[in-house]
Amino acid sequence: MAHQKKNRNVGIIGIGQTKHSSHREDVNQPELIHEAVSLALKDANLTMKDIDCVVHGNMELFEMVHSPDLWHVLGTGAYGKDSIRITTGGTVGATLSCASDNLVASGMYDIVMAIGFEKLQEGHTTGGITNMACPLWFRKIQAGALTGSSAYDVEREFGLERADRASLMYRIIMDKHASLNPNAHRAFGLDFSQIDDLIRTSPKLVGELKLIEMCSQSDGACCVIYACEKKAKELSKIPVWIRDHITVHKEENFTIFGYDRKYPVLKTHKFAAEQLFKRNGINDPLNYFDVFEMYDPATWWAIDWIRDFFNLQGDEHLRLIEEKEIMIGGKMPINPSGGVIGSNPIGATALVRVAEAALQVRGNAGPHQIPTPVNHALASGFGGTMWTVMTMLEKELNW
Amino acid sequence: MTTKKTAGVEDSYQIEGKMALPYSYFAGRVGSKFITTLRDQKKIMGVKCPACNTVYVPPRQVCDVDFTDIRDAWVELESTGTVKNFTVVRYDDKHLPRKAPFVLALIQLEGAGTPFAHILEECKIEDVRIGMKVEAVFAKETTQTILDIDHFKPAAEKASIHEVNARRKQWVPTDEPAEASTRKGGKPDMSKPVIITAALTGAATMRNQNPSVPYKPEEFAEEAYKCWKAGAAMVHVHAREDGGMATHDHARIKATYDAIKDKCPELIVCLSSAVGMGKTAEQRISQIVYIKPDMASLNTNTMNFGIVDRKTGKIFIDYVFENTFGMLQDFGKVMEENGVKPEIECYDMGGLDNTLMIGKQGIFSDPMNFNFVWGVAGGQQFRTEAFIAMMNALPPKANFTTCGVGMDQYPCIMQSCILGGHMRVGLEDNIRMPNGALAKGSYEQVEVAVNIANCLGRPVATTDEARLIMGLRKR
Repeated sequence: MAHQKKNRNVGIIGIGQTKHSSHREDVNQPELIHEAVSLALKDANLTMKDIDCVVHGNMELFEMVHSPDLWHVLGTGAYGKDSIRITTGGTVGATLSCASDNLVASGMYDIVMAIGFEKLQEGHTTGGITNMACPLWFRKIQAGALTGSSAYDVEREFGLERADRASLMYRIIMDKHASLNPNAHRAFGLDFSQIDDLIRTSPKLVGELKLIEMCSQSDGACCVIYACEKKAKELSKIPVWIRDHITVHKEENFTIFGYDRKYPVLKTHKFAAEQLFKRNGINDPLNYFDVFEMYDPATWWAIDWIRDFFNLQGDEHLRLIEEKEIMIGGKMPINPSGGVIGSNPIGATALVRVAEAALQVRGNAGPHQIPTPVNHALASGFGGTMWTVMTMLEKELNW
Repeated sequence: MTTKKTAGVEDSYQIEGKMALPYSYFAGRVGSKFITTLRDQKKIMGVKCPACNTVYVPPRQVCDVDFTDIRDAWVELESTGTVKNFTVVRYDDKHLPRKAPFVLALIQLEGAGTPFAHILEECKIEDVRIGMKVEAVFAKETTQTILDIDHFKPAAEKASIHEVNARRKQWVPTDEPAEASTRKGGKPDMSKPVIITAALTGAATMRNQNPSVPYKPEEFAEEAYKCWKAGAAMVHVHAREDGGMATHDHARIKATYDAIKDKCPELIVCLSSAVGMGKTAEQRISQIVYIKPDMASLNTNTMNFGIVDRKTGKIFIDYVFENTFGMLQDFGKVMEENGVKPEIECYDMGGLDNTLMIGKQGIFSDPMNFNFVWGVAGGQQFRTEAFIAMMNALPPKANFTTCGVGMDQYPCIMQSCILGGHMRVGLEDNIRMPNGALAKGSYEQVEVAVNIANCLGRPVATTDEARLIMGLRKR
């Protein structure tokens, strides 16, 4: 893919997140956003006066509000400022980050604020996703998350028992991580001893995909502030540098009801990762990165995607999980935040991946900070039927 | 989902679908308080941004203009407002709150900075106009929504003060010694009209404090006219230069005086004989002789007249306002000789006593007109008992009005109105309304004074009545 060096470097200098939750009756949409914006401004020690441009994003129609960015000005602070709204489905948070990075790198703005938001308690997500769907005429139900086909794949390759156990192992690791993250929505306090029980008792949704393996529906907002190199160095003691990002999508037909070998699904992750690492000269991503914030809507996808992202062979990806190498303290900690399975305010979710990865690089993520130094971090976003966005973060400007 | 033939096209089909769109949303704490106060107290609440003074109705948590957190800055609104725009809904649908046709109007409540949409009923659709006054009709049963205001209806037309005055009998002087004796007992004649004066500028109130302060003659004329329309019988004027400095320039003062008289011939104009800081006695009195206004202020005491931080006591401007016995005597004589009635300014009891003492020369014609001034840094603060003591010290035929600096303004004029005295308001004394908002002009404060008079059942004096009461020359 055509790719050129950035015009100038861009650093993350402010991060704010709400506590993600299924219930936020106490605030309306702009008020929820205002919480994240206020926290990010405080984190960066800035005021709205310092912000040149606001980039707003959420899922189209999920709260049934037309042009929500206009109403949300009450919380975003975008009054009188340049402002852009982005909706790219589940990846929107990651796209916000890419757009903000590009807007600063281009020289257009020195400081850009990205705001991702969702209040899934309001509105009707399925309505938003499926409006006017008709499979006959290729108007697909644009529901990406609910799929049993990956479960079927993993089972077929590794056998039902091993597949089920790996999936639940991943789920419990995410729960343990979420328990450490004060902003996480769901932290049940699960333990590895419950794996067999959960395999047996958790209601099945499609094939082997079980309720416990799915992500949550959350209310939450995330705000990240980007600055050019000069401003980032002036304003922040610990800017986190955005090295590169990549977006790949393939609006392929795939059916959520079952598996069809004719539709080669879910390969954009692999393609995106290969391109990204190749152009940055990274031959062994598993060793290069210190942490990975992965957009993991369900455990089956998560365990399958680890192989795609890191280009692993055979059962390497399953062994990473089984040997708990993806846990905080392991070889490749994945989602110290608890991931999407822990919290999923969709429009914010992919931006939370970037924000959490940046917090790990800064070293002040809180109780879920990984103990070893983080110099290189990776974040991914996922959405639509098959969209991938990947972002690389660095501690030093030395690549 | 069904498929049907596309009308008029033989070989194409049309897919018909249906969507259900269930949704819910949360008003949040701020929005919920708006609904619950509406439901429980039938009060319409908004929030006021302290940074830009915008009053938002319905309320919001953050002022989008300056990003100030205003979630706790509650203010109560009137249930009357103005139609800012409207539309006529002419089709029926089950989601609509009324059977068509009906009017949805954008209504901005009194005191609010933002309008909101609501149903307008109890009037013919063709009679609805932008700018019409409307009032809320609250629902009998709550739905816990904005429909706890069931609808708006045209507000009962409030007659202007001039219409009210035209309908009532003109006031005629009564037996004054009897009036003076009941006044001392705190039982004044409440049927006596109350004169409302608007002090438009003073020497020190600047546009950076309140943008409505007039500087130019035509601005004075406009502001004076608004005050007269609202019920003022008199305006008190310190002329200004274009840049806002108080001036003793005869031509400028005359231009200002004439502009007011041209615009509103019947209005009484009282010029200042203080003019502004640092003016000589000659500068102060010669302009009065030159213009010969209906009335002029006469100051009674040499005193501190500074600017002091009321909270900390820190002195910002240290200034002595010179009004010697000689000046009191000379200014008083000159005014009376030129047919200019003095408005005798008393900043404390001493000033009043000075006047009575020097007045023994027989300088002042009856009735004497006193103004009790409260809250000057150097004078006394407003106190009820001090007010009554000063009132009781007045000569029998004297009139009294009062004014107060800053937040002394409203309590002191109300006190005066209760005791049978008159009222002075205006941006010279106070730039704000009782709720703390900046006054849109002195005329808005005149409206407050008219309200006070209405509450006490006192008629508001016409300019003719005011001339009669204060013993001014006829116009």
